[in-house]
Amino acid sequence: MLRAMIRRTLLSVLILFLVAIFVFLATEVLPGDALDVYLSEDDVAVMTEEDIEEMRHDLGLDIPAPIRFFTWLSGAVVGDFGVTIVDQIPIGNIIFHPLLNSLQLGAIITLITMPVAFAIGATAGYWRGQRTDAVVSTTTIIGYSIPDFVIGTVLIIIFAVWIPLFPAVITAYNKAHPMELLAVSLLPAITVIIGHVAHLSRLLRAGFIETMNSDFVERARLSGVPERRIVWRHVLPASVIPTLNAMALYMAGVLSGLIVVEKVFGYPGLGIELIEAVDTREVHVVQAIAFLGAVLVVVMNLLADFAIIALDPRVRSHVSER
Amino acid sequence: MLVNGKSLGAILTHSPGTTVGVILVSLHLLNALFAPLLIPYGETQLVGQPMLEPGHANFLLGTDVIGRDFLSRLMMGGRTSITVAMVGVLGAVLIGTFFAVSAAYIGGFYDDVIMRIVDTKLSIPGILFVALFVVGFGRSVTVLTIVIGLSYFPGAVRTIRSQAMTQVPLAYVKAARLRGESTLSVIFRELTPNVVEVVVVEFAIRTSSAILIVSALSFLGLGISPPTPDWGLMVSEGVNQIYQAPWLILFPAVFISTLVVGLNFASDGLANALGLDAARGLHGG
Amino acid sequence: MGKYKNPSRRDVLIGAGATAAAYSMGDLILPNTSLAAMKPKKGGKLTYAILTRNSKHKSLKTAKHPYQGIHIRTKNVYNALTWVDHDIQAQPEVATKWEAVKDDQTIWEVDIREGIKFHDGRDLTVDDVVSSYNFHRDKKKGTSFAKKMLAKVEKAGPNKARFFMKTPNAEFGWWAAEYRQVIMPAADIDKIGLDGIGSGPFKFANIDPKRSVVYEANQDYWGEGPYLDNLEVVYQQSMGSAMNGFRAKQFDMILGIDPAMVPQFEKLENTTVDIAKAGSQMLAVMPKYEGSPFMDKRVRQALTLAVDRQKIIDIVYGGSSAWLTNDTHMADFNEDFLPRGVVRDVAKAKKLLAEAGHPNGITLPTLYYSSYYPEIDRVFQVMAESVKEAGITMPIELKQKSGYRKWRVEDKKKTRKHRFAMGPVGPRNPAANLFRMARPTYNESGYWHPNPKGDEFIALYKKAMATGDQKERRAVYHEMQRILQEEVPTFFIIGRRSIDVFRSNVHGWKAHSQSWSGKFDTVWKS
Repeated sequence: MLRAMIRRTLLSVLILFLVAIFVFLATEVLPGDALDVYLSEDDVAVMTEEDIEEMRHDLGLDIPAPIRFFTWLSGAVVGDFGVTIVDQIPIGNIIFHPLLNSLQLGAIITLITMPVAFAIGATAGYWRGQRTDAVVSTTTIIGYSIPDFVIGTVLIIIFAVWIPLFPAVITAYNKAHPMELLAVSLLPAITVIIGHVAHLSRLLRAGFIETMNSDFVERARLSGVPERRIVWRHVLPASVIPTLNAMALYMAGVLSGLIVVEKVFGYPGLGIELIEAVDTREVHVVQAIAFLGAVLVVVMNLLADFAIIALDPRVRSHVSER
Repeated sequence: MLVNGKSLGAILTHSPGTTVGVILVSLHLLNALFAPLLIPYGETQLVGQPMLEPGHANFLLGTDVIGRDFLSRLMMGGRTSITVAMVGVLGAVLIGTFFAVSAAYIGGFYDDVIMRIVDTKLSIPGILFVALFVVGFGRSVTVLTIVIGLSYFPGAVRTIRSQAMTQVPLAYVKAARLRGESTLSVIFRELTPNVVEVVVVEFAIRTSSAILIVSALSFLGLGISPPTPDWGLMVSEGVNQIYQAPWLILFPAVFISTLVVGLNFASDGLANALGLDAARGLHGG
Repeated sequence: MGKYKNPSRRDVLIGAGATAAAYSMGDLILPNTSLAAMKPKKGGKLTYAILTRNSKHKSLKTAKHPYQGIHIRTKNVYNALTWVDHDIQAQPEVATKWEAVKDDQTIWEVDIREGIKFHDGRDLTVDDVVSSYNFHRDKKKGTSFAKKMLAKVEKAGPNKARFFMKTPNAEFGWWAAEYRQVIMPAADIDKIGLDGIGSGPFKFANIDPKRSVVYEANQDYWGEGPYLDNLEVVYQQSMGSAMNGFRAKQFDMILGIDPAMVPQFEKLENTTVDIAKAGSQMLAVMPKYEGSPFMDKRVRQALTLAVDRQKIIDIVYGGSSAWLTNDTHMADFNEDFLPRGVVRDVAKAKKLLAEAGHPNGITLPTLYYSSYYPEIDRVFQVMAESVKEAGITMPIELKQKSGYRKWRVEDKKKTRKHRFAMGPVGPRNPAANLFRMARPTYNESGYWHPNPKGDEFIALYKKAMATGDQKERRAVYHEMQRILQEEVPTFFIIGRRSIDVFRSNVHGWKAHSQSWSGKFDTVWKS
């Protein structure tokens, strides 16, 4: 078991290294550079090409890419993502609060989604093939089929403009108190949940059905355990295991959803920071955020693997083979 | 035509949901194919006052924010994103099938390398992956198609590979090997025909997701460029007029959603009819 | 019912016909006379949303610096030597008087106002002016306009500073009003401005460098006001969210709205829509190199004759919130503006194209543009449709804003030429405007130079800048505009008037053509 876990951990490190290379290559091909956005049209109207080249040289934008990559990577390993190009501000300072804010929103979403998805999945799974299943499945598919930005916009119009329960745009500071953000997180959270609960509930439904049909449930039934007890004590816990990996991937889905939703609502998180960093060509910020996102997904995946290895003896041998 | 012993008709009408899905998708595809012949006005032509309401005598669904016939733009608005999504995903699934099946069959180091690349891609949030590429290479239809292909390739490999893994230990594969069939021959002649159902379902599911991604990109200003009509773009064009002309975002939103709902219902029914687990496929894109 | 406050006479004349109905006649006849008589009330907080942000905004450490605030409206906290008013006239601010002491307009003396105090209680002196300008002209840290033009600045008396310009500059008063060229307490070049101490009507209170700033009133302000206790600026990424915030009463004001949203705001209760006299223009660089269709002057002339600018104004700008460009960088509020003789002539455009060897029409290269303004997609789509009538096929394509400038210009090795692409033009005085075409190295003229007409233009520009007399200078400016209108080195598409929207209990605000020059000193809420 330990060998399997070590193997998975080493693989995760390898994957993160590959992600680092990919992110660096992808940001290298971005046209223009930080200076291009930093200079306003007014600046450009009076500067000559030579002036611009000189500034570019002063900022070290003409250093070859491989050198920059290894400088960046050696720092990133110890959590130092370097400084912004034009103003030399540590990246940590820039992304620290947005990271916390996004994690908070992500946590809220996960905390609501899990039980909701569980309830939906189990309901649909229990009455599979029946009317309830059809209604639940249909509804979740429709929810999943409407674009995030449409759901967000409609929620704003209904619950902020027509019925002024929530702020239409979030104007909280990056450094806002967690409680202040919590108060305005509901609409963005619901937007992501509507779009993503379908995935998870369908997985849980499948896991539920699989467990319901398994031998041990059959044995329990034959030995006269009441149906209610079978579902609550045996099927529900067991149906989670086959979906653990997918749940980890679901986190990646939530991250994508957050980017769009943060933009629609103006939530001060990493998504907004990311869109902005891509816009202003702050390559180091993009790298740091992409890398952190990948770390999160990889770690979730690893934890899911650990849990599966620990919980499910059948998988142990399979995972160590992988 | 028989698949798994079921007629195509039986599969397509497997459940009421499947039928609805198949009908929705067919309607959308027919419209996309024949729209250029059916539209009442040119899709970029300025034909009336801006923002005329639906139900107007000359313009059934009114006009858009600069006075183009809204119905014509809606009918033409899916062509580009459907093409991008279908071609991109088809490429991903076809090439993905080869890598998936060969990885499952050959195994070892080759399998490891492919799966690590797949894991790497799956660890990067989807929108970020696409955004980086689009910003890097510019926003043309070609770039969009390639990006869609690249982003669905790893997920497709993962799903198809796991199906292929169930086939590799089976007797017919061993028999083929004993007959002296070459590796390529086993991959193409023996294994691939036996994963074809998964590939079809995979294609349908990923296409629906790709259409959503393309529309989100257009909404964020990274997708299709004006004056080409596109639903995602139409929503972003209409957002500023939402209180005055809500139909400008309502109709395109309904068009995107019905297509995606249709694709999901159809693929769901298809998967059920074929005895596959569609829920797994919904993931990891 | 919302009100259009203060539409200028020109708006009404241009808007006659299609949009006269958009104005409520009652509002035109009865401007807010009753309110004008009201006495300003002290107190309250005003929150305004902006849609464009300073490209140099960065971190908390530097967010108070006048170059790096979230908003280029440095006027909230700082004062400059001069101020550009709503008629684009230079007005005194820290300077009470400025005059050229040499006939060729290269040396200027400025009288510094007495009795101005910085937020920390110190007096503003001529030493602060000299120190600030030594920073502004610093080769590494300074700002482009000052670096380009200022050679030296020195103390010339207890309340007098002397400015030595690198080249003649007859329009010193406008130059000194540039938004970064503010007066800060004297300090070393590495430190100056970072503490955010200015002499303006408001002081920094709370900052989120990327999203918002809260200011509080400076009780010791030297001028009239401020009446508000607090002022807050909030940056919004999208017009839609700004509008939602306004409707949900989170914002009192939005600066620079999408012209298509005017009717929606009109329908809102207690809402005022105010249109500035002018604003930015959009131009298209027409690169001239071997093989480019724009080498032929007749093609360039045909294009500017073919585009239906009035249709753009009617469809995109509700008939009133844009103006007809004159194919130069000049804005129409300017006294020196020389209107084009012909507005549109499709027949002549066709004839010119036929003469140029395109009797069956011409397909131009793709015209690229980027999302500088919320309505820009509509402008380009209407334009591309309207030139079809003259047989011109002009594909258009929207590009990402980031990397856009570098992408469109010629590269260093000249393997890629400048693209047929849109650029923005800010509303400024003639010297700053016409200079852009007088620079042989600047790509905006599409490599018009070297060219006898271009050389003539440069010579005229130098002459204008050394001409102290405004009337004489205007004659030269007109001559320069005539050259541009005949040669059409660059195609000017449309000029937009900035539109602000605010609640009707906000008084004393008027939309300003230069988005950075509006002042909140005397704004109050009832």
